[in-house]
Amino acid sequence: MIDHMKAVWTFRYFWLSLVKMDLVTRYRRSVLGIGWSMLHPLAMTTVLCVVFSHFNADPTKPDAWRLYAQRTLAGLAVWEFLRNTLVLGCKSFLQNEAYIRLSPLPYGIYPLRTVMGNSIHLLITLTVLVILVAVLGTVYVQPTIWAVFPAIILAMLFGWGIATIAAFATTYFHDVSHLIEVAAQAFFFLTPIMYEPKLLIDQQLGWLVTVNPVYVFIEIIREPLVSGIIPDWDRYAYAGGMTASSVALGLGTIAWLQKRVIFQL
Amino acid sequence: MGRIELKDVNVTFSLRKTTKVTLKEYLLKGLFLTTVNPVVAIHALNNLNLTLNDGERLGVIGHNGAGKTTMLKMLAGVYPPTSGSRIVEGRICSLFDISVGFEGEANGWDNINYRGYLQGETPKSLKKKRGEIAEFCELGDFLNIPVRYYSAGMLVRLAFAIATATEPDILLVDEVLSVGDMAFVTKAKDRMRQMMKKSSLMVLVSHDLNSVQEFCTRAVWMEHGRVLLDGEPRAVVTAYQASIAQPAAVVA
Repeated sequence: MIDHMKAVWTFRYFWLSLVKMDLVTRYRRSVLGIGWSMLHPLAMTTVLCVVFSHFNADPTKPDAWRLYAQRTLAGLAVWEFLRNTLVLGCKSFLQNEAYIRLSPLPYGIYPLRTVMGNSIHLLITLTVLVILVAVLGTVYVQPTIWAVFPAIILAMLFGWGIATIAAFATTYFHDVSHLIEVAAQAFFFLTPIMYEPKLLIDQQLGWLVTVNPVYVFIEIIREPLVSGIIPDWDRYAYAGGMTASSVALGLGTIAWLQKRVIFQL
Repeated sequence: MGRIELKDVNVTFSLRKTTKVTLKEYLLKGLFLTTVNPVVAIHALNNLNLTLNDGERLGVIGHNGAGKTTMLKMLAGVYPPTSGSRIVEGRICSLFDISVGFEGEANGWDNINYRGYLQGETPKSLKKKRGEIAEFCELGDFLNIPVRYYSAGMLVRLAFAIATATEPDILLVDEVLSVGDMAFVTKAKDRMRQMMKKSSLMVLVSHDLNSVQEFCTRAVWMEHGRVLLDGEPRAVVTAYQASIAQPAAVVA
């Protein structure tokens, strides 16, 4: 396993240059280029602001929409990151088949390419969010903003683990990627992104919020950035545990199947 | 320094007659469905034993489907042996499937980078080689356009130039010289000769029996994943030619 990680490091120039290329080609031929990456969350934010300011649930707090817009954008950013990492991660061996057939690189590189690409989009969206907090929030920058960085690292590692497992599963059974897409759609509504977790807690479904692995990452990224609160240590412990299991399962799957998966491609 | 040691190496492909097994079939298989899609095991390499020491140049000949390319890919580490042990010491440069694995949207220069890094180069070591690669492939301004607009010949030029820019201990070659225009083939052959001199060990898979005799110090003739004959190139090639000539004589 340590050899595997060393090899991933040795070939860092390879996958880093591919990540860069993915980013460049994604917006090749478009006028705004990478600006689209900025515009996408900005447009989403505008929509959220308009919607929330018009459909204010509580007339006694006319400014509530300001906070809702920030919270929802943060939730969507983390959700999009994890969802895309998993869905695109499914295809990561199939898309890199030519390289796999050419050279015996460590398999962890290909999901890493997916995760890194998505991380850049996450960072761009979160940058937009920081601006939004400054504009709509009560303070310019939350003093707890530093806590976002370790949370992002955790989310990236978690993403790598699930993307790796999904990549192997999809190589063996192509149906898996479709199953995941459908399941993700259902999971979106189970996760308090467009609504507050209070809604589920009031229905005696609070445990759904507590165990939801996506929501814990939303919490540890969103709260320090938007509310200026550091979540309780047990939430970090849960996120850390989820990350450790995901990475361990990913590494375990590599060790288990790395000598066989090429015959399935 | 290069060394290759293969002990009882087997490589078996399990293929499905029609398509891949689906998740549904996999789950239901054990319950009540008998599969309509049985696994066909293809024994591509069959108890292969081979030791190559420093300085040896091995030519591999045999019919299509004899397992030559599979052996090369197994040596490169792409196909892990199903059983047996494979020991390969030294830096490998493989010249097979060289024109696949390009990023079509990226231009020639970027692809030089990707391929270079894939072969274990660093930005520093590659910097020196980029000019050399560009000069050798003679693509000039074409290097600035995305490679998906390249013709097959241009792609091979680029691929060959990149692949041969490294200094390997072990050179694995599979029929790369049959493409490209005349001028390039001559040039490529020269480069191959230089590389063969520099590298300490080479395995050449070829249907061109003359080049096997010209370049190699040892030859093996493979049939159905086994080594049929192993020895001095001239003797092996003669025996192989005789086996081809015989059925032809019967027909005549």
